[in-house]
Amino acid sequence: MTSTRLTTRGWLMMLPLLAVMVLVIGWPFVQTVHYSFTDARLAGTGGTYVGLHNYQRVVNSPAFWSSFRLTAEFALISVTIELVLGVAAALLLNQELVGRNVLRGLMILPWALPTVVNGTLWRLIYNPEYGALNAALSQLGLIESYRSWLGEPGTALAALIVADAWKNFPLVALIALAALQAVPRDIRTAAMVDGAGAWARFRFIFVPYLVGPLTVAIVLRLIEAFKVFDIIWIMTRGGPANSTRSLSILVYQEAFSFQRAGTGSSLALIVTLIVMLLALAYAGIMRRSAGGGI
Amino acid sequence: MDRRSPAFTVFVYAMALLLALVILAPMAWLFIMSISPAADLSARPLRWWPEEPDFSRYRALFSLAQNSIGAGFISALWNSLRVAGMATIAAIALAVPAAWASSRVPRVGWSLGLVVASYMLPPVALSVPLYMGLAHFGMLNNVFGLAIVYLTILAPFTTWLLRSGFDLIPKEIEAAAAIDGARLDQALRIVVLPLMAPVIATAALFAFLLAWDEFFYALLFTSNEQAKTITVALADLAGGRVSDYGLIAAAGVVAALPPVLIGLVMQRALISGLTAGGVKG
Amino acid sequence: MSALDLKGISKSFGRLPTLAGIDLTLDSGEFLVLLGASGCGKSTLLSIIAGLLDPTDGKVEIAGRDVTRVAPKDRDIAMVFQSYALYPSLSVARNIGFGLEMRGASKAARREAVNRAAEILQISHLLDRKPAALSGGQRQRVAIGRALVREPKLFLFDEPLSNLDAKLRMEMRSELKRLHQMLAATIVYVTHDQIEAMTLATRIAVMRDGRIEQLGTPDEIYNCPATSFVAEFVGAPPMNLIRARAEGGALHVAGAPQPLPLPPEHTGAGLKAEVLLGIRPEALRLVDANGLMPVDVDLVEFTGPEQVVDTRFAGQRLTAILPPERRVAPGSRIAFRWPPERIHLFDAETRRRV
Ligand SMILES: Nc1ncnc2c1ncn2[C@@H]1O[C@H](COP(=O)(O)OP(=O)(O)O)[C@@H](O)[C@H]1O
Ligand SMILES: [Mg+2]
Repeated sequence: MTSTRLTTRGWLMMLPLLAVMVLVIGWPFVQTVHYSFTDARLAGTGGTYVGLHNYQRVVNSPAFWSSFRLTAEFALISVTIELVLGVAAALLLNQELVGRNVLRGLMILPWALPTVVNGTLWRLIYNPEYGALNAALSQLGLIESYRSWLGEPGTALAALIVADAWKNFPLVALIALAALQAVPRDIRTAAMVDGAGAWARFRFIFVPYLVGPLTVAIVLRLIEAFKVFDIIWIMTRGGPANSTRSLSILVYQEAFSFQRAGTGSSLALIVTLIVMLLALAYAGIMRRSAGGGI
Repeated sequence: MDRRSPAFTVFVYAMALLLALVILAPMAWLFIMSISPAADLSARPLRWWPEEPDFSRYRALFSLAQNSIGAGFISALWNSLRVAGMATIAAIALAVPAAWASSRVPRVGWSLGLVVASYMLPPVALSVPLYMGLAHFGMLNNVFGLAIVYLTILAPFTTWLLRSGFDLIPKEIEAAAAIDGARLDQALRIVVLPLMAPVIATAALFAFLLAWDEFFYALLFTSNEQAKTITVALADLAGGRVSDYGLIAAAGVVAALPPVLIGLVMQRALISGLTAGGVKG
Repeated sequence: MSALDLKGISKSFGRLPTLAGIDLTLDSGEFLVLLGASGCGKSTLLSIIAGLLDPTDGKVEIAGRDVTRVAPKDRDIAMVFQSYALYPSLSVARNIGFGLEMRGASKAARREAVNRAAEILQISHLLDRKPAALSGGQRQRVAIGRALVREPKLFLFDEPLSNLDAKLRMEMRSELKRLHQMLAATIVYVTHDQIEAMTLATRIAVMRDGRIEQLGTPDEIYNCPATSFVAEFVGAPPMNLIRARAEGGALHVAGAPQPLPLPPEHTGAGLKAEVLLGIRPEALRLVDANGLMPVDVDLVEFTGPEQVVDTRFAGQRLTAILPPERRVAPGSRIAFRWPPERIHLFDAETRRRV
């Protein structure tokens, strides 16, 4: 087949996907950019050009910065916890253990649980009057009176992070476990023969195999965490007193609750920019470790 | 493996038990709540296991009586099934040819990079125009409209998965078929796609799970039983006036059941797929 | 009429030239082997003949018809791939009959052709299996069967034997030779194995860096290599190449006790140049210690029918294959002579035969 004909064929096969992507992603994104420079309202009114006004408003608003800080905290802390618990669980599952396969199978469950169900589940657990957490802690004598875990600004974020980390650490564990099991048996045996201790083996044999896949997983998780909406919406709706209002929730409120499509769009684009920077870091890592990771 | 000291073995098993507990306890509790009588759930001290299991919530959820909670719940399940099913089928239909092209045609491959990069866009960056667009075409609160929107998530993802599948099939097989006189569609249909079947099935399952779990767009673009999906219905239930936590828990159990069953049945494929690319949040 | 004509075929991937001006004519019934090291462009050339790749430049003619822009299926060729490229989801019978099926042959005609090919290849008992249930050698036979049923004008083979173990490889080699004679087929066959090339080919094209270094019968390639590259590539162990200076009707090797005689056709002519003196290991004969070419023995490998002797001649390496009767000891000093007509001279600069 001639290569120009092959290329034509390729584009024909690609075309339906590209057309749909332009329709549902390309065009809306361009529109969002457009709205971000106008005072458009969700109902369709407004739409005069206002220049950088929306961006100025966003950057000058304390709400944006507090949301930004909250989102960054949420992302960094949950992903760190997921990384630590994930690697620990993977090391455990890498041991010889009766029932290891069953345990590994269980790890899929939190991942498969829909985020909305997960949020609902933890909301019930944290319930100030009837929740299992209060009941358990007071029955163990750890607290004297029931607390409103999601209702107090001091504990709401932590409660969210626990719920999020619980759902996501098993994924990190499965990825880390696959990486650990990619370590050739010969290398492990050789290290053992050489008399390497447990720590030395972890540091010099397992860590090099873990770095690639885990970096990928962690950056992807960070991107996801920066976009966080569902679990917060289910558990706190951004409260109490906006103490868990993530960037995505802020955009939602601005664009849909207050119907300000213009500012909402500029805010959404700033969130996009942050995520893009993370994605670029990801691309850089991928290029650097090309062939290294799984 | 090296020989372990007995103390270490005990430690390993203790940790394994702890891990199993951490993973199972919250889910088990959801189920226990769903079958505990309301009185047990509000008792202090809390009763951790019902004296008499109470399945009435499940009956309520699946009752067909008009305007009951059950009617709304069943329609939400049905909507989720339809939206996720349609979006999955459409995504696979778009993804198969595109994945083939990006795997086989060198000068086309870069465009898939663009499509996959769009996966990084936060939904909030598309939501306002999508809302206005759907409103313009009268497709708000409509399962077709929502299914189309879901393609933003499912299509890039399935294409990317299928492409790695095509990459694993030797080009020579297609070359041999071409020399044997097969047209491209014949070569794909008779020779290549049967080999791709397991990959396509895995991609479809992933896509279905993603669509079933989706919440943000469903929250924005649906408003009543005509199109509301199970995730929105569950959020309504959990955030609304319902005071029977057992009912909320039962709804959660039902909403979680399909993906969890898929997860358990497809364990092997899912784990290899997950670990190959570290996908889905 | 020639079965295949390649006229000035060039191919570049991006900026990198892979093939540079290949010209070749093949008569009907010939068995042409493209021989060369891995990466020299053999598969690329075969793909261009098959129509799987476009040449950047040049023309492909099959049976006198210009097919440069013709799709593979319309070129009347069949190809056997190194990886076999069987269709994993189809039965052996359907694999073999696939080309006929795609060309709309009737079921009965297909069955008959498949059975005949299977009989020739002795795989009739495997027809219902899937490729995954076959051994390497059986898969190879199926791949060949798939090519056979089509009765094409031209067969293309891309390293078909390189995935087989040594014993099977030898078996399949004779099998291919038998098929070629039986069918009087025209074949282009790619390999990097010079023994395969020598045993199968009616003609060999030795390729190097995207060019044909020499095109000739196995006899010509072996006995009259056009360049030192061909001389080294064909024959195992390879031909010895000794740096020397031709002057005054004799060859002077630095550090050697006496000059060596030039072959008969060169004496007299005023040859005066730096040359490479080529002698095949199997051309050397053992003589008494103070013969023309005294050498120091480094290593002796006894293989059974012969002994392979690694030596140094005036500091340059020289390998000889000697009959086993008179065993040579490492560390000893021996001397060689050779039939004068079995010596080859190459220009040290251009590496071409002089
Ligand atoms: N599709 C391609 N793109 C870029 N370079 C290629 C491609 N195919 C082959 N090459 C290059 O062309 C050269 C010859 O390849 P090939 O014909 O496969 O060699 P051979 O079959 O002799 O081992 C190699 O250096 C290879 O890297
Ligand atoms: Mg090759």
